[in-house]
Amino acid sequence: MSYLIEARHLTKSFGQQQVLQDLTFSLPAGEPIALIGPNGAGKTTLFSLLCGFLPPSSGELTVLGHKPGSSALFGRVSALPQDAMLDPNFSLLTQLSFFGQLQGMSKTAALAESHRVLSLVDLAASAEQKATALSHGMRKRVAIAQALMGSPELVMLDEPTAGLDPVNALQVRQLIADLSGEASFIISSHNIFELERLCGTVLYLEHGRLVQQSAVRSASTQGYLTLTLEAGSYPDLLPTLRSLPGVIAVSDRQKYEYVLQFDAELAPDFDLTVLMALRQHGWRYRQLTKGQTLEQQLFAVTAKQA
Amino acid sequence: MSAAWSLLGRQTWLYSRFELQRLLLTPRGWFALAAFSTIWYLLLRYPIYQASVQLQEPEIQQMLSSMLGMVGMYNLMNWSLPELSVYWALTVLLMPLAVLFSAADQTCSDRSRGTLRFLTLRSSRDSIFFGRFIGQMLVQALLLGLSLLATLALAVWRIGELPIAAVNAALVIWLNLLIVLMPFTALMALCSALVKSSRLAISLAIVSMGGVAGLLGYLVWHFPDLRSVLGYLPGAQLPMLLGAQGWDTLKHSGLPLLQTLVLLTAGRFVMQEKAI
Repeated sequence: MSYLIEARHLTKSFGQQQVLQDLTFSLPAGEPIALIGPNGAGKTTLFSLLCGFLPPSSGELTVLGHKPGSSALFGRVSALPQDAMLDPNFSLLTQLSFFGQLQGMSKTAALAESHRVLSLVDLAASAEQKATALSHGMRKRVAIAQALMGSPELVMLDEPTAGLDPVNALQVRQLIADLSGEASFIISSHNIFELERLCGTVLYLEHGRLVQQSAVRSASTQGYLTLTLEAGSYPDLLPTLRSLPGVIAVSDRQKYEYVLQFDAELAPDFDLTVLMALRQHGWRYRQLTKGQTLEQQLFAVTAKQA
Repeated sequence: MSAAWSLLGRQTWLYSRFELQRLLLTPRGWFALAAFSTIWYLLLRYPIYQASVQLQEPEIQQMLSSMLGMVGMYNLMNWSLPELSVYWALTVLLMPLAVLFSAADQTCSDRSRGTLRFLTLRSSRDSIFFGRFIGQMLVQALLLGLSLLATLALAVWRIGELPIAAVNAALVIWLNLLIVLMPFTALMALCSALVKSSRLAISLAIVSMGGVAGLLGYLVWHFPDLRSVLGYLPGAQLPMLLGAQGWDTLKHSGLPLLQTLVLLTAGRFVMQEKAI
């Protein structure tokens, strides 16, 4: 099987500090892949290795079967690097069409492609402006636009919605969802809810190590319900939920949010049982979700490992 | 293999052409052109024009010839027009210094801004490095060509005609200047690949040239047999070049071309290895 990305015993050190330690993983093409981890976990370093911005200290890494940075990947792999800016001396259109020409397009085709990607991020009206005349959010959208030029097979986005207002963040998420059938996406973000909506696979990094690689909607999420109640007073809520038939455990991780673990074979209609119990006590709920949230799934595993 | 070379050639040419675009189509380029024109107006109006008029006097010619002959530069007076003699002497000494400033920002700003990251996803580091270097040489070729044309125009205004020999001499000077400037541009390509700002690149170039010259001077002081190594420093051929004349000047091209090759090889290595 050919993988999108394959890493074998990958390490990266800066001086004495080992930022990535012995990473081994394979990622198939398909649903978007999330790269998650706390600050300093090594996400951006892994991104830089995947893009060929940095060489690994040891180990092997291939992207679409080639060494990162190889000329075989030009136009096939694109990225939104963190904090990278366009040249302030040229207009967006000039630079994007130059990028297109570097990717092998004719001047006319590159201009048309630049207009297309700028429209995708709602910046067609700013085509003749320079990067310095744009707000932070607009610059981020231009950087996303350049990553969509041509027909890349793999698009890597480092914090694509950081610094964007909610409307534009929603638009970017929608764009990724729409394009995920045409290209494979790898998205690094601190916004776990965003990744949950977009991604099928998660790579969780911590202290430079790969702590978890799993499917977002894997079998481990079966047998869980996440209940969110409206704000209010709920006397005897926990004992009531724990007494429901089929319940294994109930935990309250956040205010008004409860994770119910149950035996799916013993209680196949457990969601209905919970709704009936809520109705019986007159408790108003905001959301009932099958499975755990990605946050609960990830942090339950890391907490167990700790 | 040929496809890889073709891609490298195509992308290198795109980068070179983009440098010309930066000069001709951006406000920053227009500002540089305006500064260049002002400096050259002042040089042409005062030192070059005044000196050319003075050089018409036989007594001054004789005095200068004997003075220059004492330092092996008798031929400096033998260019077909006095304007070209003064132009040649001025540019061959001043332009290398000017290039340290004008060619300092080949890759460093793009590295610190992160723009190189957008570029390396689409093109090789080689095409960026060599494309920018060739682009700088094209810019210098254009600017030197314009300043030479202005010098010839000044001579025509003074004498009312343009001798063919003067056009030939201008071509020799243009070609020689490009060769003289090549190692300095390559040095700035190397320094620009090493640091993250043009100021640092300029400082690094000046300090490294001074350091190498100082070190070699120290070595020569203690080991006089090593004196010949001083002749391999960038610009070491300039006194000999000023003493030569016409197409003969090109016989001093070997050293700057070799220095360019060495500096570009070192710069390419840095560009390949350095994090972006």
